Amino acid sequence: MANIRAVQKALDALGIGKLEARPWRRSVVLEGRVRTWQDYIRAGYAAAGKGFKGVVNDIEVEGLEREREYIPPVRDNTLEGKQFDVIVIGGGVIGCAIARELTRWQLRVAVLEKEDDVAKQTSSRNNGMIHPGIAPARGTKKLHYNILGNRMYTQAARELGFALERCGSLILLEKSWYRLLAPLAKQQALQKGVDGVILLSRREVFRREPYATPAQRGGVLLPSAGVVAPYDVTVAFAENAVENGAQVFLHTMVQGFAMEHDRIARVLTNRGRIRAKVVVNAAGVWADKVAGWANDRFFTIHGRKGTIAILDKKTRAYQSGVLAMPRLGSKAHTKGGGINPTVEGNLLMGPNAVEVPWREDWSTGPEDMEFLLSRHLPLNTRLRPGDIITYFAGVRACTFEEDFVVEPSEYVANLVHAAGIQSPGLAAAPAIARDVAEMAVKLLSGVMEVRPNPRFNPVRRPNPRLTDLSLEERALLIRSNPAYGRIVCRCEAVSEGEIVAAVKSPVPALSVDAVKRRVRAGMGRCQGGFCTPAVLDILARETGVPPTRVVKGRPGSELVLAPTKEPGEGSADA
Amino acid sequence: MAKELICIQCPQGCRLQVSGRGEGLKVRGNKCARGIAYAGKELTNPSRTLTTTVRTCFPDFPVLPVRTRGEVPLARIFACMEEINAVRVERRLRPGDVVLDRLAGTGVPLIATADMGEGKAVYH
Amino acid sequence: MRKDWDVIVIGAGPAGLAAAAAACDAGAGVCLVERESRPGGILKQCIHDGFGLVRYGEKLTGPEYAWRDIEAVRRRNIPIWTETFLLELQRAGDGFVLTMQNREQAVFQLTARALVAATGCRERTARQIFIHGQRPAGIYTAGTVQHMINIQGYLPGRRCVILGSGDIGLIMARRLVLEGARVEGVYEIKPEPSGLTRNLVQCLQDYNIPLHLSTTVTRVLGRERVEGVVVCPADENLRPLPDRGRIVPCDTLVLSVGLIPENDILEPLGVELNPRTGGPVVDQRLAANVPGLFSCGNALHVNDLVDYVSESGEIAGRAAAAYALGRTQPPNHAELVPEGDILYAVPGRLDLAAGGKAVVYLRANRTIGNARLTISAGDKTVLRKRYPVLRPPEMERIVLDLADLPAGAGAVKLSLRGEENG
Repeated sequence: MANIRAVQKALDALGIGKLEARPWRRSVVLEGRVRTWQDYIRAGYAAAGKGFKGVVNDIEVEGLEREREYIPPVRDNTLEGKQFDVIVIGGGVIGCAIARELTRWQLRVAVLEKEDDVAKQTSSRNNGMIHPGIAPARGTKKLHYNILGNRMYTQAARELGFALERCGSLILLEKSWYRLLAPLAKQQALQKGVDGVILLSRREVFRREPYATPAQRGGVLLPSAGVVAPYDVTVAFAENAVENGAQVFLHTMVQGFAMEHDRIARVLTNRGRIRAKVVVNAAGVWADKVAGWANDRFFTIHGRKGTIAILDKKTRAYQSGVLAMPRLGSKAHTKGGGINPTVEGNLLMGPNAVEVPWREDWSTGPEDMEFLLSRHLPLNTRLRPGDIITYFAGVRACTFEEDFVVEPSEYVANLVHAAGIQSPGLAAAPAIARDVAEMAVKLLSGVMEVRPNPRFNPVRRPNPRLTDLSLEERALLIRSNPAYGRIVCRCEAVSEGEIVAAVKSPVPALSVDAVKRRVRAGMGRCQGGFCTPAVLDILARETGVPPTRVVKGRPGSELVLAPTKEPGEGSADA
Repeated sequence: MAKELICIQCPQGCRLQVSGRGEGLKVRGNKCARGIAYAGKELTNPSRTLTTTVRTCFPDFPVLPVRTRGEVPLARIFACMEEINAVRVERRLRPGDVVLDRLAGTGVPLIATADMGEGKAVYH
Repeated sequence: MRKDWDVIVIGAGPAGLAAAAAACDAGAGVCLVERESRPGGILKQCIHDGFGLVRYGEKLTGPEYAWRDIEAVRRRNIPIWTETFLLELQRAGDGFVLTMQNREQAVFQLTARALVAATGCRERTARQIFIHGQRPAGIYTAGTVQHMINIQGYLPGRRCVILGSGDIGLIMARRLVLEGARVEGVYEIKPEPSGLTRNLVQCLQDYNIPLHLSTTVTRVLGRERVEGVVVCPADENLRPLPDRGRIVPCDTLVLSVGLIPENDILEPLGVELNPRTGGPVVDQRLAANVPGLFSCGNALHVNDLVDYVSESGEIAGRAAAAYALGRTQPPNHAELVPEGDILYAVPGRLDLAAGGKAVVYLRANRTIGNARLTISAGDKTVLRKRYPVLRPPEMERIVLDLADLPAGAGAVKLSLRGEENG
């Protein structure tokens, strides 16, 4: 039962100023003014769990600088008047997975992504965990989609040709009396549908993970946990969607909707106004803003930043699976993080969780690294700070209800939300995509006949990756195309052929970072010191632009600014 | 008026206090005689070997490393660069080949320092 | 195509080229493997002069220095496999199998009795020294900038800040200015510069580029391209003082913050590495703990002069040839133990059975004056040397005659003591 008085009481109890709660449809809207972002967050959580569908937190924060949201510097009319059956807003893992599911039907599908590539925001800025599903509470969408999604990954990996490693997750127990709770946890996990739970004694933990912290007093092993490269997964979904007829439009930002009664008539973008029968909101950290354009903003997204450190590949030998040691007493949404392997053979450390007012601020700070070093590094006694080769941050798209929003809009006839997707969103993606596609098809059935796509091919033929090949296969490939014979990135042993293939792929890699996400050139220990100049020349050659126009990522991120000498008039006497 | 110089004739890096000119040159702080010669040169006419690159017309070797054969006055370095930047090499050169006969009125030639070769065919 | 070699040298930079020539002169059948398209290693892009004073008695540019080595290898008809990448390195019998790839041969294997690893070093990156902020374009290591300017002819930035006063950083400051960029300053977290005095004078002073000591960069500003950096003074423990940070606008941050020997390819062989140098632990023949494996150049430890890189290549090449041709005795090792103000010394052990002279390279761990170096075994002092001043950036080289050591010496002590701020 929604209880507005309970919300007001909880707000008043915070003692952070005069705040007001009012009901709106089935949600609650918070208004007022607070001094700090932390207060804003506290107010949002105080209103959650009081029986409302969502918390819309419109409280102002004094003196808070407005976020400089990235807007692609492109203005043209290339999409003006185009018509699609489904427009998916957002080219993250959720949007791309949805697009691929939609291509099972004969539909005109478009993915609109404002960034210069797919998987640019949260989908490439996470640790690649395919969670076992032990963390979400029962009865949540998170749990439902996590459990299903985890199971679906085996088939998705096989069909789409991305690497999945079911390395298992080992939750270390900090105090011996936790072991009394362990059987209870096991029972709970089984009730939740987690596929496999094994309790380990301290000795059994050491047998599995010889370098685990001596502070552990046993552990809970979840064998169904796995890891993927999240950008690989997103690109795989996107490419298979394109192979099956979908279109991906980059640098294309949705800036509003033209509504007709309860329908979105047109999607307004920086590249023209587009007609769509159904719109899917998979806009990640901006999903609430997109909902707002359809007057359906019944939740607010707040960004929770996580910083992750990448460790040198030599550390992979020191750990077999995921290691974590949650602290009792920490809130459910802050306890995450640990050390996990990657499918490429590194270890990752983190993430931490920090509430931030800016949703696209991926900067890292010394305090984040100090946290990782003090909290996570000791989980494995072999690791040293010097093993860190780099680190990055991502921002989780959280709602105050801390659950996914996966549903057709209650008020807009042709809108489906896939919003508030944060951890375990990557693990949940295939299951969310299947449901959202079904929701979209159901809505479409009212206005058109939807037939299965007879040419749908779930199998993607990924570009060859030298490091996955046997020496014989490698030799064959080089003989068929000598460009595979020239290694460009020495740390990750990536060839020119692989880079060229990435540039020519269904969702082409057109920047140095996009190449890095596709083939790992520049991801190794030297962090692109040796290969960036070579990748720059290959990109210039393959895309036919001068080197001064080759970018690291977004427009404006040109790598070199000019030739060193303007072309001379005279020539040498030579 | 004394001028401070760091002698760079050896790694010791003596801090020299120099006053006077020509015959009246006075150097203090030097631990050996080379410091005096260095100070005299630096005060009257500091000169340097200029190392840089010139454009070529070969895509596999877009810029060719060059240097001056001998030193040019420090004050003329940017004038030299201007002239060098106008050059475009149209023949594959080898170290020691002359790129410019007389650089920016200094009388010092500019020579190639790298072997432009034909690439790998040479090596195996 | 010959498949079996006495000696294979990995890396055709100055160390590898010298090693190959020396191995050939010692009678071994030798070839070189190089991942880049031309031999010469990093010298190809080091177009400045100052190389070769020790070895040739003249000031050469990097490409000129490399050219002499390349010509020496060519005269001996030593093959160089260029654009050839080493995929796997394995022990087989009493030798090694190298699995490699290139465009022409696709995947192929060579075997060798002895191996010289001359793989050079890589640069430390911004993240490894914990510079924070987003990751815009325009953050480069000095070596990358050097490659862009000197090999590709691209200007990476117009307004640059250089972090680190190592020699490459100083040289790139001058190079950027010559090519029309502006260098806002060179920042060094330590209270004294890391580079050679010669470079401080000729790269910074000559062009009025300011050097800010005890100052570092803590943050990069900008989203797509670098828009500035936050610079902070640092205390005597090299900790930045964030309250006193200020913004320096720039479009490029160039890092010259250290070099790391690259020996990753050797790790599967079980090579023992010295944590101080990042290179293999070797004896005076530059033999590592893996029989038949030799190390030289910047892969062994980061040198300040290429002349020493070449010298180490010659030693390793000669020793590898002797090993491959069965001319060596089983080793009898004595540890060489550094003490006092020594940052590190190479080699880490002496093979008394091999005898001869040992070239010892060492660095002081701080700037010291009136320094005394003694080498002793048991009660016997075998060498004494005095230095008016020693600075960590400058490597010292001494030659020790093993014949001077008492028979059966267990450990040899290398002791350096000096006075602060000499």
